[in-house]
This record gives sequence, C-alpha cells and structure tokens, in this order.
Amino acid sequence: MKQILLITDGCSNVGTSPVLAAAHAFQEGITVNVAGVVDYGTIGELGSLEIAEIAKAGGGVSQVVGTRQLAQTMQMMTRKTVVQTIHQAVNRELKQILGHTALEELPPSQRSQVVQVVDEMTETTSLQVALLIDASASMKPKLSAVEDAIRDLMLSLQAREGISEIAVFHFPGRRSGEDTVLDSDWTRDAGTLRALFQRLQMKGATPTGPAIMRVIDFFRYGTLDEHQPWRGNTDEGEGMLGDYVV
Amino acid sequence: MKEKGCSVTTSSKPAYPAGTVITGKWRKGRFVIRRVLGQGANGIVYLVQKEGSRNPYALKMGYDTLDLQSEINVLMSLQSKRKSSASPRGGTRMSYLLDVDDFKGQQGDIPFYVMRYFPGSSLHHFIRKRGREWIGLTGLRLLEKLNGLHRSGFIFGDLKPENVMVSDVGHVELIDYGGVSSIGRSVKQFTEWYDRGYWNAGSRTSDEGYDLFAFAVLIIQLLNEDDLKTAAVQHLPQTRSPGQLLSLVQRSPKLKPYSEWLRRAIRGEFSNSHEALKLWKETIYTPALVGKLPGKTPRWLINAFALSIMIVCLACLWAFFL
Ligand SMILES: Nc1ncnc2c1ncn2[C@@H]1O[C@H](COP(=O)(O)OP(=O)(O)OP(=O)(O)O)[C@@H](O)[C@H]1O
Ligand SMILES: [Mg+2]
Repeated sequence: MKQILLITDGCSNVGTSPVLAAAHAFQEGITVNVAGVVDYGTIGELGSLEIAEIAKAGGGVSQVVGTRQLAQTMQMMTRKTVVQTIHQAVNRELKQILGHTALEELPPSQRSQVVQVVDEMTETTSLQVALLIDASASMKPKLSAVEDAIRDLMLSLQAREGISEIAVFHFPGRRSGEDTVLDSDWTRDAGTLRALFQRLQMKGATPTGPAIMRVIDFFRYGTLDEHQPWRGNTDEGEGMLGDYVV
Repeated sequence: MKEKGCSVTTSSKPAYPAGTVITGKWRKGRFVIRRVLGQGANGIVYLVQKEGSRNPYALKMGYDTLDLQSEINVLMSLQSKRKSSASPRGGTRMSYLLDVDDFKGQQGDIPFYVMRYFPGSSLHHFIRKRGREWIGLTGLRLLEKLNGLHRSGFIFGDLKPENVMVSDVGHVELIDYGGVSSIGRSVKQFTEWYDRGYWNAGSRTSDEGYDLFAFAVLIIQLLNEDDLKTAAVQHLPQTRSPGQLLSLVQRSPKLKPYSEWLRRAIRGEFSNSHEALKLWKETIYTPALVGKLPGKTPRWLINAFALSIMIVCLACLWAFFL
C-alpha cells in the first residue's frame, strides 16, 4: 500500500495544480493525505481549501493542526488511510461475493468476521509512506517539529507486523527547476531519520503540484532521475480478500 | 497506533435526550436512554434501562462501524476465554457484553453495543475525593485486571485514569476496550503521557511491559502531577527519556514508597505483569512502609507524637531546674 503525506502551511504558487497532481497519484494507486501546520494565525481560506481539495482528489484525508499535535495527526491519518483503503477493497469484494454493498449492511455476526480480516490486514499489509515536506521560507520555524513527528511516525510503523517504509522529500530544491529533493530513501529504521533538513536553504516558491508529480515518479522508478522507462503500476489492492474468504 | 492527545479535540456530537428508546435493527432489543455517561473519540456512552426491566446498563454508540466492531470483537473474544476458563475465585460473573446491534438514526444506521454499567468515578477523581491512601489498593486491583487481560493474550494499550472506573467501595474496572490489542501486534491507541514511545523508553509493540509502563506514569500522575507535567514539556521529543521519569521518582518524597516498583516498570525490567503484581503487593503490605506511605500516618498520631516530645522536653527542663 502506498501513501503520500504532504506537510505544508499554505498555498502552492508554481506549476501544475497540486489537486491535479494528487488525482494522478490516486490514479496510480497512491493515496494522498495532507497535514496543514500553523502555529500562529490561520492558514487562510485559500490554503485550507487547497489542502482539503488535494486530499479529496488523492483519496485521503486532511487536517490543519499546530506543531504540538502534528505527530499524533500524522499517525492518525496514516492509520485511518490504511484502514480506509482496506475497507474499500473489502467492500468491493463483499459486493462481488455476497451482493451486499457494504460492511455496514451485514448482520453483526458476519460483520465481526469481516472486521477481523480488516484488522489482520491493517496490521500486516506492507506500507510505504512518502513524506513530502513543504520547505518554503514560512515553514522554517516548524521543521524541527516536522522532523520529530516523522521519527514518531516511524516508531509507530515499526511496531506493525507488516513491512513499513518511509521516504522523506522536501521541496523546492536549491536549483531552479529542481522541484523536489530526496532527504531519505526508503527506510524501516527511525535511527536513520536524524538531521534531515540541516543543510536546507529556504526559498519562497511553493511548487506543490510538481513536487507531488516527482514523488509519483519515485514510486514508479525508485529514483528522482528523469527519463526512466515506464514500468507501469502493480495492482496490489485486488484480490485482497481472496486469501481469507473461501 | 492511534494516538490521542491529553486534550482530545473531539467536538461533542449532539446526544439523544433522556427517554429516547433505542431499538435494535437485528435483534429487536429495546433500551430506554436515561442520561449520557460520557463521550470520547470513538463514541457516546449512555446509561440505559432494558425495556421492561429495572437493571441499568451502559450503551455505547459508535461513530464508525469498523472501529466499534473491532472493539466488540475484543470483548467477545475475552468473554469466550473467560467462559472456557472458570474464574479462579469462583462465583458467577455477570457477562460484560449484553447486546450488539444497529439503531436507525436520522442519518442512517448507528452501531451500538450494550455492556454492564459500572457506577463510580474515574480513578483520578476517586483518588482526589477519597485520598491518596487508596492508591495502594486500587492500584493492586488495577494490576490484577491488567494481569487477567495479559493472560488472555491482550494488552490494554490506552491505560489512563479516565479509562479506569472505581466504585465507592474501591472496586476497579477497566472501561473502553477500543485500545486493546493482541500481544505482539502494534499498540492500537495510546495517549502521549502514558506512552512508552513518547518517553523514548521502548517500542509501540504490545507486550506486558507496555501496560506496566503506562501504569507507572499513571501512579506518578496521581501522586505528583505537577512534576510530571514539567518533565513532559521541558524536553524536546528527541531528548525526552525514561531517565527523566526515573529522576522524578528519585526526587519526589511522595513517590518514595513506590520508587522500586516504578523504577522497574519504567526500565521495563519486569518479566511479566504477574511479577509486577507480586512486587506491588509486597510494596504496599511491607510493615516498614506503613507510616511512610503518604497519608498513612493519621493526623492525631502526629499530633500525639509532637505532644509527647514536648512533654519530654518540659520534663527535662523541669528536672534541670530542680
Ligand atoms: N460501562 C460503563 N459504565 C459506566 N460508565 C461508562 C461505561 N463505559 C463508559 N463509561 C463512561 O463513558 C466515557 C466514555 O466511554 P469510552 O471511554 O468507552 O468512550 P471512547 O469514545 O472510547 O473514549 P476515548 O476517547 O477515551 O477512546 C468513559 O470515560 C466513562 O465515563
Ligand atoms: Mg475512554
């Protein structure tokens, strides 16, 4: 299961629409969640609207919080999205197998069995979360909290039975045209997630849309280098219940 | 791995008024709402009466079918385990779970379950009202409950005073099984203060030590909340450490009687909760500790002691002048 978790504090202002980029991600089987971080004042009407729309297009959830609640919000969103994705897949299969449209319509006794399967899969499916950090100038005072929250998320994911990996990106890059920078490649270890954003030069531009597009590429090719051949996506989500429901 | 902050920001949802009859869609059970007992992140709990009976029950309506069912699954599995292994103390134990059903609300079906009602108050309220000398006994009973859960293969996870109910005579019950997870799985729900991971003291994988750590923080909170608060906010997440809790335990005279137990729980040194239970018993029943336990020395005894010293002094003075 693949997720992008975007952490930002305002509006994008350069390049492709981030809502369109999130829709592309969703098309690729990657869910996009958005955490808006603001400590003083508000994120602005435009900012909060954009955040909600990115998450909607990306099939995920969004929430605006202060740095104090960031860690728990990121965890909550990640877990919720895992459960939701499995829930949707299960509902699709229930419809095929039993003709019911949803878990909610099953009688409690059968519901119990299905939820057992959902819980099992929530714990055991392998999970990749790409964290995409807005590093435009206004985010500077929040970056250490972001780093702490990332480590805390890794701690929670490490506790799962399934393989869980995190990769960290920030945007924009140093050079113009460099939409996003890889800070940490896929890792399963919180220990490697130290001093992530030390050599960062903060800039004003916020190319959220292009950055999301680059992370989609990273999911496809395992690198940010351009001109890779198209590999296509693998449909992991299908047939999930197959092993459980006979 | 669902974390809930100390200040849970759940906007309270409108509750059903007293007198509302909740009818089950599948099993047709009818329950009359008396009042709201509490509200949390996962649902609203009402005090209800089964129609045609005088017995009070607690009815929990969930916000999310999947979450609530997951909680019900734990309760059912616990219940079947209890049934198969007769309780060592004997006696007929009233079952915890009475009914599971859906209710047709205005905006679609709402899942609910009906459980035993526990009159009483949350642990921290109870201790505030009745005094700290109750910590030993209620702590013992809480550890017994946790130990029972562990023996069934589960850990409680989200242990905090709000989830521990104490009756007026000091009976202890765990409520809110939404955070319960099987040993070996990831901890499902936790609250930062009580979370081993928050203090960089270990993983968020369910083991008996996870609950024991939370229990230790809970005891520290009951006896010295101010210093715990300071320790929690003083440090950056990276530098927060079990060492801070340990030095708090060392420093605080109120925690002194429990310091050995707390130290071992914070360091994760108990091999299981049975061992922790044993040491707790020894701690609270050691004769040497009577008098050292906070609040154990009655006021009149201290006064009497002061008076007798005065008399001795006076007697000495008197003897001196003679
Ligand atoms: N069986 C019961 N008997 C008496 N009171 C109860 C019972 N169950 C719950 N309550 C009351 O209702 C409150 C909320 O219940 P519960 O903790 O189960 O809800 P929740 O939504 O899971 O909350 P949380 O946010 O802690 O997860 C409790 O704090 C308690 O005061
Ligand atoms: Mg609760």
